[in-house]
Amino acid sequence: MGSNVRLSFDKKPELPKLIALAALITVFLVIPQFMRNTQLIMMSRIFILAVYGMSYDILRGYTGFINLGQAIFFGSGVYMGVIFLNMQNDLWFFMMAAGSIFVASVIGGYVMSKIVLRTGGVVAAAMVTLALGEIVRNIAERWRTVTGGQDGLPLRFSRVALEPLFTTRLGAYYFAFVFLIVMTFALRAFVLSPTGRVLQAIRENEQRARFLGYDTQKYKTIALIVSSVAAGFSGLVFAVIVRFANTDYLSITYTLNALLITLVGGTGTLYGSILGSAFVTWIQNFLLDLNRSLGWDILRYPMLFVGSLYILLVIFMPAGLLGGFFQLKNWWDRKRLSRATDNTPEA
Amino acid sequence: MSDMILRTEHLGVSFGALKAVNDVSLEIEKGKFTTILGPNGAGKTTYFNLISGLLKPTTGKIFFKDADITSYKAIDRIAAGMGRSFQLTNVFPMLTVHENIRLSAQSYSKVGARLFRSHRRYDAVNSKTDEILERVLLPHRRNALAASLTHGEQRKLELGMVLALEPEVLLLDEPTAGMAIEQVPVMIDIMRDTHQRGTTVLLIEHKMDLVKQLSDRLVILVNGKVLADGNPTEVSQNPEVLKAYLGGGVLDATTA
Repeated sequence: MGSNVRLSFDKKPELPKLIALAALITVFLVIPQFMRNTQLIMMSRIFILAVYGMSYDILRGYTGFINLGQAIFFGSGVYMGVIFLNMQNDLWFFMMAAGSIFVASVIGGYVMSKIVLRTGGVVAAAMVTLALGEIVRNIAERWRTVTGGQDGLPLRFSRVALEPLFTTRLGAYYFAFVFLIVMTFALRAFVLSPTGRVLQAIRENEQRARFLGYDTQKYKTIALIVSSVAAGFSGLVFAVIVRFANTDYLSITYTLNALLITLVGGTGTLYGSILGSAFVTWIQNFLLDLNRSLGWDILRYPMLFVGSLYILLVIFMPAGLLGGFFQLKNWWDRKRLSRATDNTPEA
Repeated sequence: MSDMILRTEHLGVSFGALKAVNDVSLEIEKGKFTTILGPNGAGKTTYFNLISGLLKPTTGKIFFKDADITSYKAIDRIAAGMGRSFQLTNVFPMLTVHENIRLSAQSYSKVGARLFRSHRRYDAVNSKTDEILERVLLPHRRNALAASLTHGEQRKLELGMVLALEPEVLLLDEPTAGMAIEQVPVMIDIMRDTHQRGTTVLLIEHKMDLVKQLSDRLVILVNGKVLADGNPTEVSQNPEVLKAYLGGGVLDATTA
């Protein structure tokens, strides 16, 4: 049984794949021209939450580390975006927000790693990050002068600059789309780098990685920092789309959103988060739309269906949408291979 | 002293009342193939755990290349030039064979924590990986997941991962354990080849017939203590060894 199982990234991209990718990008550049504002907003959210999901996948899928405080970085990104753009709504303040988020996420990720990596085991680490997340959310709720507390903080567009990027929904769509592409390539490069490879080794067998001479704590710290920065950036762009910040974005709900996105899309596949984000965002919108057009009472509780759907998905497609696709493809490749070389002697 | 690469002085560790390793003083000569032989539970693996830093000794000291490494962490001992394999197969199951060895070669090449350059573009690491794959006879399995290998192949992979670290001292913990009988000579060839390339090998075994021809020196460990130490022929005929360890008779079985 020559199981030539192929992982998602084990081969260089071939020409047909590149052409397919170019075609896909073209489609997503053209379709917004035919979309309503609500659809544009939904698509933009999908793109940004996909990056957020990928940031989570770096930890959960690649390093095997469950962070229940990921929303700290996402929510902080949203807040800093709103706060900076409320000072002055132009490219310079956007860049300053990005710079601040970068610095804050690096420091925050580092501090978190120093606290979390003292604990032994995945569960203890998850509990500590959960506590950290709640601490940050509580501080944000009390610190009304800066965060607006539970009322939140709207993005005021009194001084409009940088048209049409932040003012129209179409501009925001393109902005989010470019953000997704840039971040996908950056995170893909990270996952393929020597460092990213060591993270997978840690996920598989941390003790062995240490006996290959890797300082696994150091690598986990790097993973946390990269993940935090990506989550912070996605928060910033999210602020531009939703034009609003509140403490929900810092809460466990938004961490679980990221978890859900990776779970649905496929853990440890990176691109799976794009599918996961699309599915998770779309299904909620779809059920709300359905409720509006049909008016059935039961549809007023969309989570009833969404929750059941997730349970079914976890049972029947534990590897997620993209993971399931890879499994199917491997199975097919194997079958074809074993047909081609039916009686190969195996060493 | 210069040809002593590894030395333990009165090394011991106790778990409660049990002295798993009891006052073991050994000097391992550079470039030699030394085998530690003993029945199950003799403290062989525990001795390895002490040397490689997985366990802290209760008594005694460890010297590596004349430096006292007793307080070194495992990772620092690896950086100093020590490599070990594990008795229970210890690989990265959901990564490919190639990736398992490549990760080891990457560690040896001291690539460092590079963030965005693809791992495929480090030629030194890749050629090293290919070389090791050849040495442990696994090139035909390079794209298979480690989890899908047979037990014997996993043992070879495990050995390959240690070899890619180019250790000065190679600690091998029963590399043939559980292997199919026809695979054992292959493993022995790989070990002999490694030794001939100049690596100091310290091997743990519990079957004497495997190691008599391979080893320059045989150390018998029983109940955590050194019972006999010397060249394989002498040691294997030592009446005390025959009595305590093997119950006599089976020592002259030839290498498989």
